[in-house]
Amino acid sequence: MAAFPHILELSLVKNNTIQLNSFEKESMENICLFFIIEGKFDWFIDGKAHTVYPGDLAVLLPGQCIAGENDILNIGSFYMVKIAVQANSKAVLGKWSLLSAKEKISINHILSHNRHNPVVKLKEAQLLFQTLVTELKNEEVGAHTMVNYMLDQLLINTCRQLIRQSNARRDFPQKFLSLEQILRKDLSHQWTVEEMAVLTGMGTTTFTEKVRSFSGFSPLNYLINIRISEAIKMLKRKEASLTDIAYATGFYSSQHFSTTFKKLTGYTPSDFRKNHQTEQKPKL
Amino acid sequence: MNCIITIELGTNAVRVFAFDLQGEVIGFQKGSYPTFHEQPDHSEQDPEQMFITMLYVLKKLLNDVVYPKRLEVSCICFSSSMHSLLTVDEDGIPLGNAITWADNRGKKEAMSLKGTALGDAIYRATGTPIHPMSPLVKIAWLRNNDPDRFKLTHKFLSIKSYIIQQLTGSCIIDHSIASATGLMNIHEVKWEPSALEFAGITADKLPQLVPVSYSAMHLKREYQNSLRLSSSVRILIGSSDGCLATLGAGVWDQGRATITIEDSGAFRVIGKEVINDPGQQLFNYRLTNDLIVSGGPTNNGGVIFEWFANQFGEHGTGYDIEQTFTSLIREAAAVPAGADGLLFLPYLLGERAPIWNANARGCYFGLHIRHERKHLIRATIEGILFEMFSIGKTMEAYRKIDSLSINGSFASIPFCTQMIADMFNRPVNTLSHGDSIGVGAFLLSATDLGIYSDLEQASKQVKMHQTFTPNPKAHEIYKQYFKVFENLTQKLSEDFEALAALPVS
Repeated sequence: MAAFPHILELSLVKNNTIQLNSFEKESMENICLFFIIEGKFDWFIDGKAHTVYPGDLAVLLPGQCIAGENDILNIGSFYMVKIAVQANSKAVLGKWSLLSAKEKISINHILSHNRHNPVVKLKEAQLLFQTLVTELKNEEVGAHTMVNYMLDQLLINTCRQLIRQSNARRDFPQKFLSLEQILRKDLSHQWTVEEMAVLTGMGTTTFTEKVRSFSGFSPLNYLINIRISEAIKMLKRKEASLTDIAYATGFYSSQHFSTTFKKLTGYTPSDFRKNHQTEQKPKL
Repeated sequence: MNCIITIELGTNAVRVFAFDLQGEVIGFQKGSYPTFHEQPDHSEQDPEQMFITMLYVLKKLLNDVVYPKRLEVSCICFSSSMHSLLTVDEDGIPLGNAITWADNRGKKEAMSLKGTALGDAIYRATGTPIHPMSPLVKIAWLRNNDPDRFKLTHKFLSIKSYIIQQLTGSCIIDHSIASATGLMNIHEVKWEPSALEFAGITADKLPQLVPVSYSAMHLKREYQNSLRLSSSVRILIGSSDGCLATLGAGVWDQGRATITIEDSGAFRVIGKEVINDPGQQLFNYRLTNDLIVSGGPTNNGGVIFEWFANQFGEHGTGYDIEQTFTSLIREAAAVPAGADGLLFLPYLLGERAPIWNANARGCYFGLHIRHERKHLIRATIEGILFEMFSIGKTMEAYRKIDSLSINGSFASIPFCTQMIADMFNRPVNTLSHGDSIGVGAFLLSATDLGIYSDLEQASKQVKMHQTFTPNPKAHEIYKQYFKVFENLTQKLSEDFEALAALPVS
């Protein structure tokens, strides 16, 4: 495993007896995937009860915790892998991953948005885990690439399934609201239409059409509206500098911010701020 | 050539129309904004997002349609949804989001006031039923539950007041929106002291009251420049969506009423008198000095059918709600009136008129082993429309109703329009213009510009599209089923309370 510092742990757990305190609460510092092979497990993930069955995959992110019901590990077997995350980075997946920088950020957005629904049905994960174990054990030629590829594939499939599951019974307005919440959480990110489309589980063309007919705006113009609305709030609050506001709300530069803002409102950001400035009165 | 622009700040979107002076639509743009539900019972919107969206959409309409056609803007008229509340500090900066009409956080405050002597007096004075929707109750909630925000609040605004203040600097509220706050005396047209006292505020915390025809304001210079509008463009404060939809539906003559069903719905009439309903089931909102719009709102309109379609409709991955609707309605049409003995109470979102019970819940009644999905579909639609009929019946105690006009996307589905005609046993007209609120705002503006002598003459311009005549056989069946529907609703009221007291996750 020395060649894979990002794989902190990979195990096949087989449990044949029920023992006290066999699965006490554990807080995650990294990404952890559990795949159930046999049996039925009663777990608490972030305090919420989940019963997981064979074919289920549970994904835990740093900061989330897991425990067995009554601290007991039920009878059965599962795979478990812990993957190190990059500290202080938007892309949780490290350099080992073959994904592009944009894709890594999308994976991160999807995982963190779905942290309250951590269980997906993902039968094909069993084969991926098996391959992963075999590759690590046999160390044949190409093993390094294969292992990282399997990890990537596990995460990609998990994310795709998360999106499918969360969108299955949703119509477009609901998907769009959920997208807006993700955008607002990370407004400083340079969102592309492709990234936004991915989060709704749609192709870029369909997504753009749907957004247009539903909201009246192109996806990027809709996003600009959110950026400007947030900027207005920050300008009125008079705490942050114009440059800080520009970056916090996702503009390339204060120049870009200023032009866009003026085009829409008729004010430059600084004029807007002055115009809404009244004398500071002593607060009683 | 001149044109009139109407701006409708709706629940889900802003809609901007350009009309020529004869009332024909020259252009239309819309832009949507979301509603956030951060906690159960909370329903909020971002005031800056609404402002920016409005500005963007207005600008686009001007640049894409109005200026290329060399039209001159005579007047811009506003309408908005009712009951919104936005608190701002002494610098006019919003403290939190705008709270919408659908917000239910003030349940406890409403319950404590409703049915008391003070509550009765406030209803008689203001015409607004005591309910969490009302800003009166929302302010009381803030005082009890968010004292810091309450204390910092310099003004309690409606979302329309805020948007107009951003554009012009004036801090005003029109009589229609004000009469939906639960704080304005609808007879004397001034803030009602007993309501202010219950809310815990003084009149200086509210915007200045002005009539719907108020126009003594100008766009700020920066907006004149960016929108390329001159300072002489008349800015008309306008009215509420409910009042204007009624005006725009041509409901004028005695004996006419209008039914609107979008996500939620309402039954409305226009008259000269305030209806004082001892059961407090009906609202009264002031349109002008001598005109009152009265009616009853339901929470459970098209949104309930959408719920049904989401849960039980057939849809692949490219889920398109309209297609699902169409195929469900086709199935429902194969079932006779009365759904072969199946009834549905549509109270999934609690209910306002006529029962005003936030704890009411939905119910299918009369299920039999022979019933299929199609019966459930039909019963669901019938239940939603029985509820509208029930509000209409309440209204009939005060006003004679000979014919109806309908608007709103759900009520305008031909299958639903026919069902409304059959239930009420009255002819039902659809309107040739899809957006009655925009038409109402146009009529108000055109009257203000002197094109029509008064609103009565203006309302005669509204064109009807198609008339649905009632089928007497279906009416007889619905009449009998409605009795059971009404009985059930009454009988279940205790059980609704019992159910509400049980724990849910």
